[in-house]
Amino acid sequence: MAEAMKQTVAAMLKGIERYNPDNLPTLERYVEIQSRENAYDLEANLAVLKLYQFNPQRFNIDITSQILLKALTNFPHTDFILCKCLLNERQLAEEPINQIMYLGDILEQCDFELFWARVHSMPELTQRITGFLDSIRKFVCHVVGITYQRIDRAHLAELLGDVDDITLKHWVKKYGWKEEGTLIFIANQDENIKTKNINEKIDFESVGAIMASCR
Amino acid sequence: MYANEEYEQSYGRDYEYGNYETEYGAHTGDPNLDSEYNRQYFKMPELVQKFLQYFRNAVSEGSIFELQNLYEASWPKLTEDFFEKRPWPEEAEVAALVENDPVFMILYKELYFRHIYARIQGGPTLEQRFNSFFNYCDLFNYILSEEEPVPLELPDLWLWELVDEFVYQFQSFAQYRARLQKKTAQELETLNSHNKVWNVLCVLNVLHSLVDKSNIKQQLEVYASGGDPDSVAGEFGRHSLYKMLGYFSLVGLLRLHSLLGDYYQAIKVLENIEIHKKSQYAHVPACQISTSYYVGFAYMMMRRYSDAIRTFSSILLYIQRTKQLFATKSYQHDQINKQTDQMYHLLAICLVLHPQCIDESIQQTLREKNYHEKMYKMQYGDLQEFENCFVYACPKFLSPCPPAVDAIPDDYSKEAIRHQTSVFMDEVQQQRMLPTIRSYLKLYTTLPISKLATFMAQNQRNNEGKRDLDKEIQVLIIHLLCFKHKMKNIVWSKGPSGLEGKFQSGSELDFYIDNDMIHIADTKVAHRYGDFFIRKILKFEDLNRKLHHIKM
Repeated sequence: MAEAMKQTVAAMLKGIERYNPDNLPTLERYVEIQSRENAYDLEANLAVLKLYQFNPQRFNIDITSQILLKALTNFPHTDFILCKCLLNERQLAEEPINQIMYLGDILEQCDFELFWARVHSMPELTQRITGFLDSIRKFVCHVVGITYQRIDRAHLAELLGDVDDITLKHWVKKYGWKEEGTLIFIANQDENIKTKNINEKIDFESVGAIMASCR
Repeated sequence: MYANEEYEQSYGRDYEYGNYETEYGAHTGDPNLDSEYNRQYFKMPELVQKFLQYFRNAVSEGSIFELQNLYEASWPKLTEDFFEKRPWPEEAEVAALVENDPVFMILYKELYFRHIYARIQGGPTLEQRFNSFFNYCDLFNYILSEEEPVPLELPDLWLWELVDEFVYQFQSFAQYRARLQKKTAQELETLNSHNKVWNVLCVLNVLHSLVDKSNIKQQLEVYASGGDPDSVAGEFGRHSLYKMLGYFSLVGLLRLHSLLGDYYQAIKVLENIEIHKKSQYAHVPACQISTSYYVGFAYMMMRRYSDAIRTFSSILLYIQRTKQLFATKSYQHDQINKQTDQMYHLLAICLVLHPQCIDESIQQTLREKNYHEKMYKMQYGDLQEFENCFVYACPKFLSPCPPAVDAIPDDYSKEAIRHQTSVFMDEVQQQRMLPTIRSYLKLYTTLPISKLATFMAQNQRNNEGKRDLDKEIQVLIIHLLCFKHKMKNIVWSKGPSGLEGKFQSGSELDFYIDNDMIHIADTKVAHRYGDFFIRKILKFEDLNRKLHHIKM
């Protein structure tokens, strides 16, 4: 369904047609489908927010919330910021958008423990977004993947939202990490992260000209 | 104040300063009445008459070199001599001189209104804003609705300033429209009943139409892949007028999207333009500079600091090297200077958030007192300084829609800028611990997490003296994860779209954690001696030459 709509929608986003408010119902339906089918189309969603920006009377808080939650699922990309910039102060203060803003803020700060506690305390907010929790776990794995060489097993389980042993093993396997007793080996980081030395290299060619002029 | 008094003395208008807006309103914008007013107080100097006639002939003959000179030199010179503080002659008066030449009159009025926006104190009146808009409609209708390309040729600089001014006047109108507090009931009613004037869709429509008519997107695509753009340009796009208007409209769209906070579209609209490369389209410096300013800004907002830094340093280097070129053209000079200063501020912000090596001569400028102090404050977590720099250097954001008809009469013009500032400040707030962590990490190659946690706690001066190391370690780990997350961003490397790229950590300090030990990788820059020697060699040469010239 989402795949099939992608083409139709892409045609709606070309040139000046992008600003045609008659397209809103289709685009809004597309947002719902993305939520349901765990699909994602940033460009279409930004077009919806843009239409709201141009036609404030059409602003739909429910669709906007879904767009923002979908943007959270695409961390570490900065889609969430892009969406935020197209809204205004009043809209951000509205319930439940303010809740989603808070979620975005703690996720940006990588305070995962707080994030999970918050999400679990209001399950109805994120329930409609299929695959929401796993998308966040993907982001957690991204951050762990770039930060750690070896991480404490219990700590990793916590970061993933206090997952049980089977789930933990699933994620470890998915990313090709290895269990080493109480630690989990992520990757050999000293190959990627090493001290750089920048030295000035001057070859003969580049001094040739100035030498020639000095007589 | 002084300017007003002088105006009053020379032209005998009696008005009081406080009464300025209403008095100025007496100047109706209606061409007939206004010319009446003009004849009464000001006789067009003969020099100006001659100029206008000559100018008109140059337009109708399409003598492009002549036009370039008239536009870039004569017009500003005459403005300075005769119209420093008053508008250029009214439409009717000029029309009589040039046999009512319709095309010339549209172009003349464009310049006439532009001058009012730029120079006349108190800014344009409501009528003038409306009339300028209608004049743009006439101009674009003329260019866009003909069956075949219109026989008009204008210098590229003029075309750029025309498109840029069109977007600027929209911006100016939106700001003016949002300031409800000073408007009379009459003005509000006029505004509410003319919602189409300076409507955002209308502006977008014009820019998109110019882009489509010229096939500029296809041309750029072919050009980028090494082909001949003319092969896809079509009948219109082959003409320099359409081609360049199309190209400048893309930059106009970049600016417009940025003003509305749509950074994604801003970058996307420039697909197939490599802004650092020389190309046949990129020869108007003001356009190049404006492009880089908005692109760099959009990247900064998207947390793509490496891309922002690359964009800013490259254009600032260009400006540094070609400074003398601009110095001669004073009216462009102010604008370029302002934008340059803004870009140094933005670059300073980016470098505080994302320290990395940049070109030595740009670094040199940033070491100067003004920037240095600001960077220092930001590094030490002075949030107010971040905000000040941001507000000074950001574009003039606007809301695309006017306030509601029943809105309380207030000033809504600052809403958009407040919002974008708060989005940016949220980001800064999220990163507030990173500079402190960075400053400690810089001192080590390996460092246990617990030790760093102790340092951090001392830094925050726990007043009760009680310390919970486990808690502190937990908090520190969150900051460390945040550090890695924020410093790993999309960086463009190749391809037609500036939106694309790969995740990279481009900042000069990086680290990883192995269980409970932090391993740090820094960038060490060896002392540069090349530049130093070259300067000394040149100095020596110079000295030597002078010595030879001394006659004993």
